[in-house]
Amino acid sequence: MSRVRWGQVALYAAILAGWELLPRAGLVPRLFVPPLSEALAALVADRREYLGSLPTTFGEILVSYLIVCGGGILLGQVIGASAAAQRMVLPVLRSAYAVPLVVLYPVMMVWFGLGSESKIAFASIYAFIPTLLTAVAGVAALSPALAETARAFGATRAQQILYVSLPASLPSIVAALRLGGALVIVGVIVAQMLGAADGLGFLITRHRTLLNSPGVYAGIVLVLGITGLHEILLRRLERSVAAYRQA
Amino acid sequence: MTRALVAIRSVSQRFGVDGASVPALEAIDLEIPDGQFVAVVGPSGCGKSTLLSLVAGLRVPSSGTVLCDGEPITAPMPRKVGMIFQEANLLPWLSAEDNVAFPLKLRRVARAERLAAARRMLELTGLAGFETRLPHQLSGGMKQRVAIARGLVQNPAVLLMDEPFASLDEQTRMVLGDELLRIWSETRKTVLFVTHSLNEAVYLADRVVVLSARPGRVVDDVAVDLPRPRSFAMTSSERFGVLKDRIWQHIKHAERR
Repeated sequence: MSRVRWGQVALYAAILAGWELLPRAGLVPRLFVPPLSEALAALVADRREYLGSLPTTFGEILVSYLIVCGGGILLGQVIGASAAAQRMVLPVLRSAYAVPLVVLYPVMMVWFGLGSESKIAFASIYAFIPTLLTAVAGVAALSPALAETARAFGATRAQQILYVSLPASLPSIVAALRLGGALVIVGVIVAQMLGAADGLGFLITRHRTLLNSPGVYAGIVLVLGITGLHEILLRRLERSVAAYRQA
Repeated sequence: MTRALVAIRSVSQRFGVDGASVPALEAIDLEIPDGQFVAVVGPSGCGKSTLLSLVAGLRVPSSGTVLCDGEPITAPMPRKVGMIFQEANLLPWLSAEDNVAFPLKLRRVARAERLAAARRMLELTGLAGFETRLPHQLSGGMKQRVAIARGLVQNPAVLLMDEPFASLDEQTRMVLGDELLRIWSETRKTVLFVTHSLNEAVYLADRVVVLSARPGRVVDDVAVDLPRPRSFAMTSSERFGVLKDRIWQHIKHAERR
């Protein structure tokens, strides 16, 4: 392993050790941060409850992910391809982006109820605009000179898309997926915390209300696990994208 | 008389700008024999690059015809005409050899065959050993060599060069100019070379076509009677100065307007 890699491992180990040792040493109150081992113990003890919350949580994340990334990336390609559309739509999107959308969540509960629909609606709206903006920026950065060059060498329209536009925009598509996925996870968990009958966020809030800090952190550990899984999947995707571009 | 390989016959080009039709080129007539190295110069905005894009088949002229080997050009003909742009315009995710092989990939030539052709071209342009480098690992001059190799890979009869050295520093430009002359003498392509540099035009070409300010017309057609192979010493010869001065008089006049 390289020195950088060792350094990273050391950093992770230091964070985990700090999580365990600082509360034990009394430097951080246990109510605020319980030692890591206590959180893990709570996770194991209540594993049925925690694992039982995962299907709902994953389902909500997955549906929102499809809406956000499918819709956001497709619409991003369309808007990014037209300068006029960008001038018209981007200022509106940017100002909408500045609105703290979490204020809409109570309204969404009224519209869609306490179940999964309100979580999906909130997470989708929350993540949609940034994902769309990322996708638009990627398409807009495509160099028209490369397409022109391909055309001069006899590329058909389909070849221009397949060999130039698509490989050139793949990194921005992956970037949009990464951002969209991260925000969808946040959106679903936050929505579950604010009002739900099921899900990981709901469990975290319930344990917090009971001042059961190890229970809260057990939920947080699972949320970290979900974001970590998302990151691993995206790195794999990045590698296959790089391979496609060079094929 | 040798038959013209590229013939530009009473070509005019107009562009629509804000609803008005602006003439860019007017009544251009040029016959370029096989194997000739022709430089095109003219004041900024005179339509030099437009002329090249017509021969490349990237545009169709508003009136008149462009012929290559007797055949009218209405779309890009990559097997007859290779194009080299001001920027190298390499695909950043492809290695040097894959970039050079790209025109062959578009024609579905098998990978082994197209890479073999690409490697031969990279050797010709002095890039042996750099086949697997990505564009960002190459200097500006090396990228332009890759672009030249790509322009040559289909062995086209005509090479179009649109200010290919304009974004390079002067030393690199001079080295690449000599390299281009070496490649040209080895391959005997017909070259149409657009440039801003009068030195470059006189040093490289057999013939310099001078265009007027917009709309571009041919105002002079100068035969460069310097011996070949050209050498740097010639650039300070009297004849070189006379030729350059003759071209400069046209351009000075036009730029002043």
